Amino acid sequence: MPARSGGDEEGGEGLSWEVTISGFGGQGVLFIGRLLLEAGFAGGQQVSWLPYYSGEKRGGMCTCFVNISDERIGSIFISHPDVGVAMNPAAYKMLEPTVKQDGLLIVNESLVKTKSQRPDIKTIYVPSVEAARELGDETVGNIIALGAILASAPVVTTSSIIKVLNQMMSKNKRQLELNKAALLKGCEYS
Amino acid sequence: MSERTLMGGNIAIAEGAILAGCGAYFGYPITPQNDLLEYMAQQLPALGRVFLQTESELAAINMVYGASATGVRAMTSTSSPGFSLQQEGISYMAGAEAPCVIANIMRAGPGLGNIGGAQGDYMQCTRGGGHGDYYLLTLAPSSVQEMMDLTMLAFELADKYRNPTLIMADGFLGQSVESIVMRDAVKKLPEKKWAITGAKGRPKNLINSFEMNPLDHPARIKLLLEKFERMRINEVRYESMLLDDATIVLVAYGSAARAAMTAMKLARKRNWKVGLLRPITVFPFPNQPLADLAERGCKFLVAEMSGGQMLEDVRISVGNQNEIKLVNTYGGVPLTADQIFESIDLMM
Repeated sequence: MPARSGGDEEGGEGLSWEVTISGFGGQGVLFIGRLLLEAGFAGGQQVSWLPYYSGEKRGGMCTCFVNISDERIGSIFISHPDVGVAMNPAAYKMLEPTVKQDGLLIVNESLVKTKSQRPDIKTIYVPSVEAARELGDETVGNIIALGAILASAPVVTTSSIIKVLNQMMSKNKRQLELNKAALLKGCEYS
Repeated sequence: MSERTLMGGNIAIAEGAILAGCGAYFGYPITPQNDLLEYMAQQLPALGRVFLQTESELAAINMVYGASATGVRAMTSTSSPGFSLQQEGISYMAGAEAPCVIANIMRAGPGLGNIGGAQGDYMQCTRGGGHGDYYLLTLAPSSVQEMMDLTMLAFELADKYRNPTLIMADGFLGQSVESIVMRDAVKKLPEKKWAITGAKGRPKNLINSFEMNPLDHPARIKLLLEKFERMRINEVRYESMLLDDATIVLVAYGSAARAAMTAMKLARKRNWKVGLLRPITVFPFPNQPLADLAERGCKFLVAEMSGGQMLEDVRISVGNQNEIKLVNTYGGVPLTADQIFESIDLMM
């Protein structure tokens, strides 16, 4: 299990998770960050969510920084995440060198063809597009990546994410079931 | 009310304004504060209050002026280029002593610049910004909670001093989402005997910024200057963190202060005596607390997302005897805890 921020190296007594998710605008990067935020909030923790993107409507770089902590959150921007999710090659280039030692890197191998050379982090390769296609809808690749986070790092519980999905998608049963299936499928990658 | 909820920074400003009894909002869209305007469009009409998307930022600030003159709590929000456009109107309001709240969710300039968050409007925000002898009471939130709380305070202070009051936040903070505790709505708004409400049964009120007789004008300015002096005496606000034994003082506001907090924690873990002074009001600026720390022999590290604008206020406060360094980003790039920590390391 990847180490959480806090303890000896970080200062402060509480524990915290720093998660950076990055990819193209349209891949659902901000949305899975939002799910983590909502689940962390429901669990009574301090949380922050920061979107960072350029001016393009689609296809530009889009990054999302999520802090979930037992104590007051300092920087809302994250330079060295405990968990990085690289949904495209540019995101991989940014995150592979910067994920913390003993951290977790989720790589969308549908688009990223490089293998990490870092022995000090755990890297999980997720074929998010193909896996989502198996479920009948390519748009849930982001949820599969989220499942892969939760399989290796207890940032929040899977059941807390399901609760958030239940609330968000209560009016669209098909979407809800699809997203739940994608989350559970993602949890198989560990 | 102590309900905990998730909220975006811009929305928290809008919600804070609604709770503070803002009766009229006028604005024109610009990234990164569009969700503030959108939220006001959704909420205000249903409350029986005024929302108007204007044809430009100039129209917005002049409508704020008009609404304010009638005694309504009025507001506009914009981002840096739009804020520049509003300077004439703001100067008129300062001259006319018409209170209002303005939120400037700063992006990178100069010119059209970039949509990335920045703190490059510091001088414009803390030195009045338009023509003439005036200041805006300027509040600098560094969390979503403060976006709400300081907006509510801004309305109170605007009415107390009859002066435009500014919320100065960077675009990163505006677009971030955090958990906050909801506040109670203000129940009773202050009576405004100076407002234009129809002069039946009383002498007429006049709201303007013009003095026909040149000999009378200095007296009017003198009253304004005395008012700014009262702000300097009564309204300085800042947060101190671990300053008691600090030898290095970080000075930062807005989202840069959040990064400074993390850098300070990293430094403390190494037993480096680092503290943080976070200005909450940037006009009036906490000169005296910084001067007191200088007297004690502290070194200063100013962390900001501009070329080094607040740095000048720190220099004014501290003088020439103490070491003052700057760590900064500009052009829409966030300042990181790592960068600040490296600069602390160099000062050790």
